[in-house]
Amino acid sequence: MLPGVYLHVPFCATVCPYCDFAVLVGDGDRRERFVASLIREIELWGTATTPELVGADTIYFGGGTPSMLAPEQLGRILEALRARLPVAREPWISLEANPEDVTVESARAWSDLGIRTLSLGVQSFDRKALEFLGRVHDPDAGRRAVELALEAGFDSVSIDLIYGLPGQDEAAWRADLEAALALGPDHLSCYQLTVHRKTVFGVRKRRGELVEMPDDQQAELFLFTHRFLNDAGFQGYEVSNFARAPEHRSRHNMKYWNHTPYLGLGPSAHSYSGRRRWWNHRSVGPWERAIEAGERPVQESEELSDRQLALESVMLKMRTYAGVDLAETRGEVGLDPAIDRAVLERLIAGDLVVRAGSVIRPTVRGLAVADTLARDLLS
Amino acid sequence: MDNVRNFCIIAHIDHGKSTLADRLIQACNAVEERKFRDQILDQMDIERERGITIKSNTVTLLYDAQDGERYKLNLIDTPGHVDFSHEVRRSLMSCEGALLVVDASQGVEAQTVANLYLALEYDLELVPVINKIDLPSADIDRVAEEIDEDLGLDPFEAVQTSAKNGVGIDNVLEAIVTKLPAPQGDPAAPLQALIFDAQYDAYRGVVLLVRVKEGTLRPGRKIQLMHTEKEYDVEEVGLLQLERKKDDKLEAGAVGYVIAGIKAVRDIAIGDTITEADNAAAEPLPGYKEAKPVVFSSIYPMSTDDYEDLTKALDKLALNDAAITYEKDSSSALGFGFRCGFLGLLHLDVVQERLKREYGLSLLLSAPSVKYRVLLEDGEELEVENPMFFPDPANIATTWEPFIKAAIMMPERYIGAVMDLCRERRGVNTTFSYLAVGRVELTSEMPLAEVLFDFYDKLKTITQGYGSFDYELLDYRESDLVKVDILVNSEPVDALAQLVHRDKARQRALHYCEKLAETIPKQQFKIAIQGAIGGKIIARSTIGAFRKDVTAKCYGGDITRKRKLLEKQREGKKRMKMVGAVEIPQAAFVAVLKSETDK
Repeated sequence: MLPGVYLHVPFCATVCPYCDFAVLVGDGDRRERFVASLIREIELWGTATTPELVGADTIYFGGGTPSMLAPEQLGRILEALRARLPVAREPWISLEANPEDVTVESARAWSDLGIRTLSLGVQSFDRKALEFLGRVHDPDAGRRAVELALEAGFDSVSIDLIYGLPGQDEAAWRADLEAALALGPDHLSCYQLTVHRKTVFGVRKRRGELVEMPDDQQAELFLFTHRFLNDAGFQGYEVSNFARAPEHRSRHNMKYWNHTPYLGLGPSAHSYSGRRRWWNHRSVGPWERAIEAGERPVQESEELSDRQLALESVMLKMRTYAGVDLAETRGEVGLDPAIDRAVLERLIAGDLVVRAGSVIRPTVRGLAVADTLARDLLS
Repeated sequence: MDNVRNFCIIAHIDHGKSTLADRLIQACNAVEERKFRDQILDQMDIERERGITIKSNTVTLLYDAQDGERYKLNLIDTPGHVDFSHEVRRSLMSCEGALLVVDASQGVEAQTVANLYLALEYDLELVPVINKIDLPSADIDRVAEEIDEDLGLDPFEAVQTSAKNGVGIDNVLEAIVTKLPAPQGDPAAPLQALIFDAQYDAYRGVVLLVRVKEGTLRPGRKIQLMHTEKEYDVEEVGLLQLERKKDDKLEAGAVGYVIAGIKAVRDIAIGDTITEADNAAAEPLPGYKEAKPVVFSSIYPMSTDDYEDLTKALDKLALNDAAITYEKDSSSALGFGFRCGFLGLLHLDVVQERLKREYGLSLLLSAPSVKYRVLLEDGEELEVENPMFFPDPANIATTWEPFIKAAIMMPERYIGAVMDLCRERRGVNTTFSYLAVGRVELTSEMPLAEVLFDFYDKLKTITQGYGSFDYELLDYRESDLVKVDILVNSEPVDALAQLVHRDKARQRALHYCEKLAETIPKQQFKIAIQGAIGGKIIARSTIGAFRKDVTAKCYGGDITRKRKLLEKQREGKKRMKMVGAVEIPQAAFVAVLKSETDK
């Protein structure tokens, strides 16, 4: 697989109470300054990127809310990318957008920029849930945004949903999923709510004002989600991702899970060259200052050992339905990921993974505990 | 010799013994003011922190008395805890007299009485000291009455002090000179010197603290330890004045130190008698008794890599702790460790603390056990203190366990609750008597094993801190003993096995099962925890499987954070103990084993 480019746009209309990403609320001037810095960062990388990053065939605008940038600004960024970085001639461009930013005009403009996948941060079609999540749009706005995106003719339209809210039951979540499916999207990302420490929800949890859904119910809901969507023809392919057909799978995100290199630009963005990982300053301020000083805004980097690569490979691939092909990992990493036979047998007996030749695949129940699989499997 | 006084201070814990010692030392200018610190005789950090004396200590004070004479006052500090009573005895044997300290507000306590009897056993002359007279709650008249009635001492002889404020210290010094007898003995007689303590010096080896009863100890002479029959050459003798002061001889009546090229405290026995090799005394001094451990526990390093360090630490610690015993032990769950014997629970606690602090070790201790006696069907008799070696019940004819006589003193109002506690702990022949109006002494014969598990803490709670507890070993009594195994997914965890009375087995097993269920984290499969006697399950608990552990979003390619978390968990896994397929964190062992002793 060819490498990808990720661009982090840190702006949001408001900061959601569950979000722990690097985001900020900024006005037009702030955004313009950001765009200039981002273009400068692209120039700083220039053609000097490592060979592993040559020929990137996916470009992903994530955030934050990249749809808060004007199409013209996105256009300038893309232009700089094409001009300065060794990207493929026809990269697959994806954009995350908030429903309130989707209009007939903006959708057409994005389409004209060559954006192929629009990923909509709908989060829910339930009014109460949206209020709880602190979202500014209402269910109708979410629906309209999906409809507009589909009419605009993007190759893939994806809906982001959040589930596992306190007190949510299977029926309520099922209704949400049905509402999403009724609109006819190509792809669904269903993220189970995680309460991070340094968020509004985190504070409320510590104060006892927010009680998370108990683990067992979360597990039930997770299993339900996979069962329901697979039955509905939306084949799951990762812990949180489902596609109507294989061509609608997120081409860019797949690269994270199968250990393909990527270059991350913008504050807090992470990069991976196949041996090395590095990441930018998390906050816009330091990120911008580094660029102003003519330096790449890298905060830190690390060189991965064979063992670490093997661990990552198994860890990431065990998040996917495809699982890990040990023979392939061996070729890739140059190291045999030493699998603990006893643990493997136990996981197979416990219906958490299945084995076929050199491939170990998690079951849906296994996906629900994916974070522990690599930890336990590698001896 | 007439100008020598050998004395000790005996007191109930916290009645101000160390403070009084501090003041006597200061009054005699035995230490420069700038070098002085509180509890100066207590050298270990643990002693200072807990305000208890563990190792006895000795100091020679030079006192210019009112009669114009200069006296050598040998203050022999004694440990203040029942675990170390053998050391107390050795100290008492080195003295002619003792100061008996009584707190002016607390009055006479269990240990005061116990110590009095000990002192009388060795024919010591006693001077009562009523300390802490500065306290608002001080009741000198009542305490004087208790001294008269409970101790049978003359209350008019009592010296009143406030050691804290330095009040009455001169009177104490005068009383030592005038009321306590001078030692007797013949410097020309064959040598008899009692070893009442030993210290370890990294450069000089063992430093013996001795009381010369007869004869004279001189450097260059060959000495013999009469019980161990070992011979050494005396390198140096002298007085202890907080630091060692070299001298040319120690004559009958003197208290001082001897250095004789002895490598480890283990090589000698406290209570042994030193004599001269070529002019030996006919008999050793009386009172020699081997210190026998009564409480046993296995010590394992938290990380199996630290086993070597633990070995070295124990070897070093044993250089100046003659009472500890240790031998190699191994557990399939916890790896290599040592089975250790202690004089009592406090001794165990102190050793554990010292290993942690002085040697920086992180340790895991198995549940303390006593030494049981077992008669097998084939007539063979065994002593078992490690549950791992408990024989098959089918082969056992009879089992016995050690009993103690517990003496508990408390204000009268707690008697009901304390009697209940004793009954619950299988106490028998529980009786009580009034010591004074409102104060009761309760005695009960109970198994030592029952006292090992949080008895003292329970007592403190029940009596709101007013109860005091002391015990002496009585005898072995027949007991219906069983071995309780703890099984995790049907695999026995050897380090958690324990010997208990059949009536207590279920309760204990249930406690273990519940604690483990609380502390073992959920795993990918269900875990059954069971308590069993032989094949019979007597308690159980279950840990459900966790079914959800996955990050919803691997955001923006931040794989590093996730991998590091995983690496950390994998590192943590190394410290987990595998029992079958179940990972048991060290914390679970700590929680289970600790909860019994430190609730």
